[in-house]
Amino acid sequence: MDASTRPTSHSGDTVDGKPAAIRAAGLTKRYGEDVLAVDDLDLTVYEGEIFGVLGPNGAGKSTTIDMIMDYVRPSSGSATVLGYDAQAETRAIHERVGILPDGYGLYDRLTGRKHLEYTISLKRADDDVEDVLRRVGLDAAAADRVVGGYSKGMTQRLALGMALVGDPDLLILDEPSSGLDPNGVRLVREIAREHAERGKTVFFSSHILSQVEAVCDRVAILNRGQLVAVDSIAGLRDALDTGSTVTLTLESVPESTTLTEVAGVTDVAVEDRTVRVSVADAAAKVDVIDRIREDGATVLDVSIAESSLEDLFSAYTGDDPARNDASEGER
Amino acid sequence: MSPSPLWATIARKEFYDAVQSRALWGIVAIIAVMTSLSAAITLLVPGSGSGAEMALGGASQFAGVLVPIMALVAAYLAIAGERESGSLKMLLGLPPSRGEVVFGKFLGRSGVVAVGLSLGFAVSGVVTAALYGDLPIAAFVGTTALTVLLGVSFVGIAIGISALTATRGRAMTLAIAVYLGLTLLWDLVPTAVHLAVTGGMPGGVVPAWYPLVSGLSPTGAYNTLVQRLLLGGGAVEARIGGPTPGYLDPAVFALVLLAWTVIPPLVGYLAFRRADLG
Repeated sequence: MDASTRPTSHSGDTVDGKPAAIRAAGLTKRYGEDVLAVDDLDLTVYEGEIFGVLGPNGAGKSTTIDMIMDYVRPSSGSATVLGYDAQAETRAIHERVGILPDGYGLYDRLTGRKHLEYTISLKRADDDVEDVLRRVGLDAAAADRVVGGYSKGMTQRLALGMALVGDPDLLILDEPSSGLDPNGVRLVREIAREHAERGKTVFFSSHILSQVEAVCDRVAILNRGQLVAVDSIAGLRDALDTGSTVTLTLESVPESTTLTEVAGVTDVAVEDRTVRVSVADAAAKVDVIDRIREDGATVLDVSIAESSLEDLFSAYTGDDPARNDASEGER
Repeated sequence: MSPSPLWATIARKEFYDAVQSRALWGIVAIIAVMTSLSAAITLLVPGSGSGAEMALGGASQFAGVLVPIMALVAAYLAIAGERESGSLKMLLGLPPSRGEVVFGKFLGRSGVVAVGLSLGFAVSGVVTAALYGDLPIAAFVGTTALTVLLGVSFVGIAIGISALTATRGRAMTLAIAVYLGLTLLWDLVPTAVHLAVTGGMPGGVVPAWYPLVSGLSPTGAYNTLVQRLLLGGGAVEARIGGPTPGYLDPAVFALVLLAWTVIPPLVGYLAFRRADLG
């Protein structure tokens, strides 16, 4: 029987009228007495969206995925995936999910091609190996070599290809960009977008903010095992009032300005001939420029910076997150 | 055509892996050389009694020590190794259940050991026939089959160990301990029991329970069965100085071997089923 002919969500698991791809309720994982890896997580990921989980290393992202995939059993709470119980109906889930797990390994002595063939047969899929190789950018020569000689980037591409086998309804990618060069990172983004465009769900975790920002419809922020926020990137921005900064370089700063009176301006800072104006809503940006000219200033230059997700993240967690791929993986 | 079961796909891959890594051919070569040599030694040492049966007995003595090591080495990393490398996460992210993984690995590795032992014995069978001018086919096939059973039981033990442990190191420690305990130290068990029960060392004639205790380990059961096959029941009666009780029936020792084959992987599976894969 072909997995793709079955209905996606077998029990019609819906939240707010929308079918849910992943639903966690009170999901908790405790290791020993004092390690609370995931703490009472309530989370819904809808079908067809690209959902990002963001958090520093050790925030509980991988443990959450481990519980969804039944690698690890929750201490309490429950999770459903595509309407199936994550603990009781793992086969039904694993037939419909493709995963690139955290801390995975491959078989050093097998070729890339054998890996894909093995995955295809265990998933009872009918994928064409060449087709999968092409999608993840591995050439035939590489595919015929044993994986023991692969670079980190090639290994990651192969593992990504294995996750794509069987055209899964839900694609789970745990830190998919680790070990990839910029081309590889772009590839992951394209694969995620293309997957979602066909109505499938993508759930991915990262500690690298720009990657989540670039591709996700909605984002959850995890910190110390707890869910801190879930929203779209825009929604997170609005909620935090960390809009944009308009930086004006003036010929000379007027004696007095009335910038603070402009609706939407939250802060004004003057330094030499540079005026930095923080605005909470987009419309205020143009108003700021108009007002300073009305105040008699000649504007030499204007630059506008959107608040980055780093700022958002710091505001939510009180921590400084990693800005780039300095540390790979997490445990 | 219905697709083959997932455990069969896993078993096939395990077998293919062993052929690729030449582990299979290692087993064939070691067994062929060692059993041929031990068959030849019987011929070379004067007064040890010659004949193809004696040669087979010599070969089986050797196999009783060698086969457990080979089977343990062939399978103790089957699951623990994948767990440590992380490839188990890829495998268990696919449809097979943990039970199917354990079963598939047991079958695949058993196949490797069984094929390796059979081919190795086939070579030594040819050597034996050349040296002695004839080969008692029934005794030869029987000894080969029993040796395969011994190998498979140690594969079962190794799979159990591998399912029970999370790292290669711990799997190796446990495998070594099991080997020492079940093949080398087990010989001391009946002696110790004898000492405790009667207050003296066992003599030429021993109580009937003595061969039973000897035969409760997989290697002990194997040795008992091979002796029965090659020498008949008379040797047992001479040893215990009387008629053979029902609990010394060959079927009992066959059951012992079967239990060692089935119970350890089952115990390993029960622990593995609930294990958190970090």
